[in-house]
Amino acid sequence: MSRVLIVARNTFREAVRDRVLYNLVFFALLLIASAVVVGQISMDIESVVMVSLGLSAISLIGLLIAVFTGVGLVSKEIDKRTLHAVLAKPLRRWEFLLGKFAGLVLTLTVNTAAMAAGLFLAILYLKHSLVRGDAVVLAAVYLILLKLALVVALAMLFSCFTSPLLAILFTGGLYVAGLFVAQLRNLQTTQFNPQTQKLFTVLSYLLPNFENYDVMGAAAHGRAIPASLVLHDTLYTILYCGIVLSAAAAIFSRKDLK
Amino acid sequence: MSGGRSAAWLLLLVVLAGFTGIWRLQRKISMQRAEMHQEQDEILVRSPKLMKLATLEYGTLVADIYWTRAVQYYGGKRLGQDTNLASLWPLLDVATTLDPNLMPAYRFGATFLAQPEPRGAGRPDLAIQLLQRGIDANPEYWRFYQDLGNIYYLNLKDYSKAGEAYLEGSRKLGAAAWMKVMAARFLEKGESRETSVMLWSELYDSSTDEAIKQNARINLELLRTDEDIDHINEIAEQFTAKAGHPPRSVREMVQAGLMAGEPLDPRGVPYVINRDGKAQISEKSPLHKEESIYRRAL
Repeated sequence: MSRVLIVARNTFREAVRDRVLYNLVFFALLLIASAVVVGQISMDIESVVMVSLGLSAISLIGLLIAVFTGVGLVSKEIDKRTLHAVLAKPLRRWEFLLGKFAGLVLTLTVNTAAMAAGLFLAILYLKHSLVRGDAVVLAAVYLILLKLALVVALAMLFSCFTSPLLAILFTGGLYVAGLFVAQLRNLQTTQFNPQTQKLFTVLSYLLPNFENYDVMGAAAHGRAIPASLVLHDTLYTILYCGIVLSAAAAIFSRKDLK
Repeated sequence: MSGGRSAAWLLLLVVLAGFTGIWRLQRKISMQRAEMHQEQDEILVRSPKLMKLATLEYGTLVADIYWTRAVQYYGGKRLGQDTNLASLWPLLDVATTLDPNLMPAYRFGATFLAQPEPRGAGRPDLAIQLLQRGIDANPEYWRFYQDLGNIYYLNLKDYSKAGEAYLEGSRKLGAAAWMKVMAARFLEKGESRETSVMLWSELYDSSTDEAIKQNARINLELLRTDEDIDHINEIAEQFTAKAGHPPRSVREMVQAGLMAGEPLDPRGVPYVINRDGKAQISEKSPLHKEESIYRRAL
């Protein structure tokens, strides 16, 4: 376990060195500008717009980091041939993979936490106070983080058996598909026979359901997010990441690195 | 070798057990999310003007996405028997603003909006607004006038406006010849069963959408039952005059030699006589439920 943590710590350091966290400057500028402008142009929905905008930015920036950095985690090590030196040490391949995953999730956690803090400051600037109901924003940020962890796992899986460009395309494609899972499940059309519809239903349960994490609407309108939903989403992410990382480890352990 | 095989088995086990857990969790999550009623999630941006600016040169594509969302939204609400279609108009509004030539969005959208609850949003005013916008953007498309006329005739019972819409449409290039005939009928006679049958038959034949076809089919069946019931009631009056009391069943009229056999409704179920001696659709008939929905709405 300590070996996994060492890899995770190094991955985090590497991300910081690669200036991944520089996006926070962009996010801060966006929020400052929005806080000033939103107050002038929105009538009665300043905080709604601010929360929607802030959460969307957290999600989008996080997704870009998760996909691009996630895909590069393994492929960069192979390209630079640094992986050989790492694996020459007493470190199993799955430990390396798990460490890389944990490192990037840690980076994303720090990044997301900093952005969330910025968002709360912007809300405070607009409303002049924070109320207990604003905690739903925190729950929404947490669910975004869970989503990002799943995206990282998928990006790592694809990068284990294909080129970085294809891995980005596959991850992005699967993410978009995962946003329409409910539509796939409820697809009622005369174009397909019952067997095909059943297949769609099964497929809808196998695909990662990214809609599960979307509570932006509820958060923006200050509506409560059930604790059980947060719990189930957490379990869902752990389970799905477990499956994806197991598959990634199985592929990576058989990969010819010569 | 055996290590590799056992690893493969282990992976298979992890995947199977994992997805079983995911299946169960997903069902719970879906139920919890359904309870949250995130109505506003259907629409990211409600302002069509803002959307037009924000979508840059991709407005047509985004319009397609909004239209697809509108169809899914309407279908989902119907499946869930939810009559709150508050987001339907904003979705259609954005879709048709982004792509003013998106014909299905005007035609089907107007149908979804105009139909009374629980089959639609019960907003013929918005349906007319949508079609007028479609006409402004595509003035030569005669089908919009047909749809407009149908809404005036079927939903608002404004026969002169229905006639005017059909007449205007009949002047457009490529308009079907029956547009003029229908316009004349609306303007001369207003509502009549024969006109309604013609209208629904045309809708049934021309529509490619299964939901609209089914709607037309049920309306045609109900119009046929109206005709049958009128006919049975005429015979019932003869029976009353002859027997001195109203008939208690259709069979009684058959036995009295006034009818050749028990007439069946379009779904093959015999009509029944109610306590007042009048004919009606049997409660055993699937049409009885349809009648309660369709006729309540009208």
